[in-house]
Amino acid sequence: MLQQLTNLSDKELISRARKLKDQEAEGVLMERYSHLMVAVCLPYLNNGPGTAPEEVYPRLLQRLSASLKTQTIPKANEWIHYTIRAQQAQTEKNSPFFPSTESREQQQMENKVEKVTTNLKEQQVLAAAMEQALDKLPAEDKYFLKEFYVNNKTFTELAATKKYSVEKTRQILQQAKQKMASLLMNETYE
Amino acid sequence: MSNLENNQRILKIFSNIRCLNRDQLPRYLDGRLTDVEKHLVEQHLVDCDLCFDALQVLQQSQYREKYQPLATSMQQYIRSSIKRASQVHKVERYQRQEQKKESFLIYFWIVAAIGIGAGSIYLVQQQGKFKTPVSKAIASNTDLRTTQSETPPVQASIVTPVREENEVSRKPAEPVTTPVAAPPVVATPPPAAVPKPIVKDSVKATVKPPATVTAVKDSIRDSARKQLAATPKAPEVKEPPKDKPPTPDRKDTPTVVKKAEDKPEPKAPPKKEASDEKKAAATPTNTDEFLYKAAMVYHQQGDLNEAISRYKHLSESPGKYGELSRYQLAVCYRSKGQTGKARRMFKEVVRMNGSMKEKAQAALDNL
Repeated sequence: MLQQLTNLSDKELISRARKLKDQEAEGVLMERYSHLMVAVCLPYLNNGPGTAPEEVYPRLLQRLSASLKTQTIPKANEWIHYTIRAQQAQTEKNSPFFPSTESREQQQMENKVEKVTTNLKEQQVLAAAMEQALDKLPAEDKYFLKEFYVNNKTFTELAATKKYSVEKTRQILQQAKQKMASLLMNETYE
Repeated sequence: MSNLENNQRILKIFSNIRCLNRDQLPRYLDGRLTDVEKHLVEQHLVDCDLCFDALQVLQQSQYREKYQPLATSMQQYIRSSIKRASQVHKVERYQRQEQKKESFLIYFWIVAAIGIGAGSIYLVQQQGKFKTPVSKAIASNTDLRTTQSETPPVQASIVTPVREENEVSRKPAEPVTTPVAAPPVVATPPPAAVPKPIVKDSVKATVKPPATVTAVKDSIRDSARKQLAATPKAPEVKEPPKDKPPTPDRKDTPTVVKKAEDKPEPKAPPKKEASDEKKAAATPTNTDEFLYKAAMVYHQQGDLNEAISRYKHLSESPGKYGELSRYQLAVCYRSKGQTGKARRMFKEVVRMNGSMKEKAQAALDNL
């Protein structure tokens, strides 16, 4: 049963955990992200009362399990990151997770790309639209996106050419991508 | 081709890539990934804050040491909680299955009980149906015995045996038609014929289904044949009481005919007439009597055409049965709506100046 569940996507596991109250599916989802949870929480361990790993991680899992039943989760990684940050900020108020507008636009674009994978004609149309959107972006954003995605350059290579840090390079890429997504989505709405 | 590749690369900007797995995370940090894999991971890292933060933390050696044991214990913790949950889930599922089984069994037994109950009720009803005719027959037998004891020996010797027994079973209350003690006197009927007609007549009196009617017909035909065969013997036995029948005949016929007049149904008068026929049984023409009775059976059944043809055949014979059959023929015509023929027949009966004259005249007046 566990073997079969590990092959399911996040979305399917979440729906199983919600609709069928399948705790195994919930467990598989938690296990899939457990190593990342552990890594992200490491700097906040043993910093004060109630920050021992035996307390932090079970509490985090409980919090995630509770919010899984009530919240809309388009992306599991964003939801987990949000919950970890909320726990680290020690906010007792359980403010619900809402994906940002940029994130939603980006996800819509991802869905569009996934849709056209089987149709060459649609692929061409979408690629042309994306190129047009790419041209509308600022020169630096366009350069970074083209170098990273079309010329397959790594973070370190890109950072080296512009003499930026890896974090900054990633940030530029992230923002450029978000701009492009909003451009494309606004085009479709017009 | 290059255009297609270019398209694919541009589309890659928005391709969805999964988070780094347990294996990829340390390998990326150590730089042990292939170029393609590394590029894929970096594509994902552009969007995923969780993975990027994890990598940032793990790049610091102090956390890197803690990471591995904690990650393993976290995995074990989750697995153990899943196991517990799954066991509880399994127990619940098993309990649900058991409950389902139990409820199914309960439904099954309820249905089975209903089926058995319905079956037993049906059987009881069927038994009741089978019992009633038998009990009736027994009751008629007892009546028969009582009437036998009451009847005077003189009357009993007058009448033909087979038909009389039938009449007794049919109408046990009537004292006029009781003359049953004949079996010991007359040798004509077969010994087995005594109980049979009782049952048949009782059935005939209640429902008259086609099968029983045919059986009755056959029995009548058989008895007629037997009578025919026994004709030489019969007169010897019946000669002495010959003088008596005319008086009861005259007394009985008018009453019976009146009853027939009252009831418009074709069935009622023939029955009465049949009882009249027993009084006239002293006549030597036993064949005519049985033929007449056979015709009566058809008449009672409503098979008028057959009855008419038989009455016609009989009407030519001299004596009482000729007159009676003509009268019945007229009744048949009347019930068929052929009033002209009926009138002619009634006139003939009147002209014959027999016992049925008054009745025929009355019928003629009513027509």
